[in-house]
Amino acid sequence: MDRWEALWIVIVAATLGIFIGTLVAIAGVGYIPPSEVEAEYRPTDAVEEFKPGVRSLGDGVYEVNILAYRFSFQPNKIVLENPKEVRFRIYSNDVLHGFNIIGTNVNIMVIPGYVSEIVWRPPPDFEGSYLVICNEYCGIGHSGMFAELVIKR
Amino acid sequence: MFKDYEKVFMRISILFSFVALALGGLFGFIQLVSRTPGFPRLVDASGYYTALTGHGVLMAIIWTAFFIMGIAVFVMVSELRVNFRKTLLGLTLVLTLGGTVTAAIPILAGRASVLYTFYPPLIGHPLFYIGLAVVIVGTWVFSAAVIDVFLRWRRANRGVGIPVGAFGVITTIIIWLEATPGLSIEVLMDLIPASLFGKPVDVLLDRTLFWYFGHPLVYFWLIPAIVAFYAIMPKLLGVELYSVKAAKLAYILFILASTPVGLHHQFVDSGLSFEAKLLHTTLTYSVALGSFVTAFNVLATLERAGRARGGGAFSWILKLPWRNPVFAGLALAFILFGFGGIGGIVNASLTMNYVVHNTLWVVGHFHLTVGSIVTLVFMSITYLIFPVVFDRNIFSGSLAKIQPYMWFVGMFIFALAYHIAGIYGAPRRVDDSSYMGLSPEIWSPLLQIGAVGGLIFWLSGVIFILNVFASLKFGAPATVNGASLSNGSGSEPEDEPTIFDRLSIWIIVALILIVIGYTVPMMEIFSRGLSPVEIVYIGG
Repeated sequence: MDRWEALWIVIVAATLGIFIGTLVAIAGVGYIPPSEVEAEYRPTDAVEEFKPGVRSLGDGVYEVNILAYRFSFQPNKIVLENPKEVRFRIYSNDVLHGFNIIGTNVNIMVIPGYVSEIVWRPPPDFEGSYLVICNEYCGIGHSGMFAELVIKR
Repeated sequence: MFKDYEKVFMRISILFSFVALALGGLFGFIQLVSRTPGFPRLVDASGYYTALTGHGVLMAIIWTAFFIMGIAVFVMVSELRVNFRKTLLGLTLVLTLGGTVTAAIPILAGRASVLYTFYPPLIGHPLFYIGLAVVIVGTWVFSAAVIDVFLRWRRANRGVGIPVGAFGVITTIIIWLEATPGLSIEVLMDLIPASLFGKPVDVLLDRTLFWYFGHPLVYFWLIPAIVAFYAIMPKLLGVELYSVKAAKLAYILFILASTPVGLHHQFVDSGLSFEAKLLHTTLTYSVALGSFVTAFNVLATLERAGRARGGGAFSWILKLPWRNPVFAGLALAFILFGFGGIGGIVNASLTMNYVVHNTLWVVGHFHLTVGSIVTLVFMSITYLIFPVVFDRNIFSGSLAKIQPYMWFVGMFIFALAYHIAGIYGAPRRVDDSSYMGLSPEIWSPLLQIGAVGGLIFWLSGVIFILNVFASLKFGAPATVNGASLSNGSGSEPEDEPTIFDRLSIWIIVALILIVIGYTVPMMEIFSRGLSPVEIVYIGG
C-alpha cells in the first residue's frame, strides 16, 4: 500500500463521513424516514376500530386513516382542501403492501400487524391529483391496487 | 493438480449454473416483454409473477451459488495445491441439487409465486421452503469442505500470507456463514410451520431476519467477482496486482460490515427507529469503502499493465487487450460496477432511500451489480477456465469477442432508463404499471427504452449460453492446461503475512459488530411485543 493509495483511502473515508454527517444534520430539520409505530390493532377488529377516512383537524392539518387490503385502498379517493400538513396512518389487514404517492417523498411499507405513519407537507402551490399506488407485491391483483389523492385550493 | 472428482464437481456445478442462467433468462425475457407498454403481453398476471419468482430465485441464488461453488474449488485447488475431500463435495451436490429441484417444482407449477424475497404473510407451497432449507444445508457442507482445505493448507504453511484468490474464497465463505443463520431462523421457525400448519407470523421480524441474510448475500456474489479482478486479471495482463495488502484490507472490510447493514432495505419500515437505521447506514458506508479501495487497486493495476505495453498518461487505456473476451468482460463489468456503486450510495442513504424505495431505480441498480459485475465477470471467467474444466476450447471465439460488448451496451441502456424511471416513481414488481391511464406519461417511453436495452443484453446472454453448450459438443480439444493458470496470481504463497491474514481476530470483530447492529432493532421489535398475523396462501 503506497502513499497515493493511503491518500485515496483517507479521501474516500472523509467523503463518506461527510455524507453521514449530512444525513444526521438534515435529520435535525425533519428529513427522517418514517419510523414511528403505534399499538397495533388485531386484524379482526381493525375495520371497526381503525375508522378509515379523512379527519380535518383545522388550519390545513389533516389526519387520514387508510385501510390497505388486497387489492384496494379504503378510501380510494382522498380529497383534501388547502392541506398544509397531512398525517397518513395506514393499516393492512391481510398482507404486506406499499403506500407511495407518486411524485412525492411519501413512500412507506405497510406491514400487517403494525400501523404505519408518515407525515407529509404538500407543495403549497400544487393543485390537482396524485396517483397513489401499492408498491409492494401483494398477490395477483397487485397492479390494480391504487388510489387517487385530490388537492383542492 | 485437480482430482477427477473435483473436475466432476466443477463440471456439474458450473453446467447446472448455466442451466439456471438460461431458464432465468427465459423468465426475464417473458417479464420484460410482458410488462413494457406497447410490447406484446406474453403472459397473464399469474404467469408474470411466476416468471418473476423464477427469474429472481434462479438468478440471485441458483446461478450465482452454483457457479461460485465451481470456481471456489478451482481457485482453492489451483492456488493452495490442497485437494478437497470427496465425500464433502459429493454430499454438497446431493443436497444443493436435490433442494433446488424440490423448490423448483412448486415455482414452475405457479404454487410459490412469492418472489425471491418471499415476504410473509403471503405463503407458497411448503416444498418451496423445504427445498430452500436443504440447499442452505448443502452450502454449509460446502463451506465445511472449503474450510477443511484451508486449514490443512495453513497447518502446512505457517508464517505464509494467504494467496489473494484463496483469501477471497475464504472471505466469501465467512460472509455466507455470517449471513445464513438469519434466513435459517426465518425459514425453520416461521415459514415452514406457516406453510404446513398455518402458524401466524410477525411480518416485521421476518423482514428483519430476511434482510439480515439478504444484504450479505450481495457480498457473497460480489467477492468471487472481486477475486477475478485480484487473482485472475493481473495474471491475464502479465503484471503484479498493484497492492496485495489493499486487496486484503478490502476483503476484511467486507467481512466486518457486510452483515449488520440489512436495515438499509427497510428504511421505510415503520417500527424500526431512526437510530437503528442510521447505524446501518454508517456501517453500509464502511463497506462502500472496501469497494472504493478495490476500485483504486484495480485501476492502478490496469494502468500498470497499459504502461508496460508502452502507453502514456492516458493512452495506456488503449493499450489494454480489449479484443480478448476475458479481459473485455472483466473491464466492462468493472465500469458498470462504478455506476452500480454510486447508485448504491444513494440506496444506503436513509433519507434519499425513500425517493427510490421499491421503484425501478432499484431494479436498475441490481442489474448493474448482480447482473453485471457478477454475471458478466462469471461469463468472462467461463471463457478462461472452460478449457481447463471441460477439456474443450470455446466453440466460437468471434462470438465470445462481441458478447461482453453487447452485454455492456444493453445493460447500460437498460439500467440508465430504469434508474430514471425510478426517480419518476415507476414501481418495480408489477405486471402492468398503467393504473387505468393515471400513471405519469414519462413512464412508458422510459420502460420502452429500458426494454430495448434489456433485449440487447438478453440476446448477449443467449449467445453466451449457445456458445458454451456448443463448446461441450463441438469445441476443439483443449489447448490450455491447468498449470498455466495457477501461477503468478499476484500474490505468491511466499508473501509475508499481514495483519489482515489473522482471520480469527477479524471474525470476532465482525461478530461483535453483528451483535451491536442487530441488538438495537431486535430489542425494539421484541420489547414492543410481536404482532403475529394470519398467513395468506398464494392463490388461496
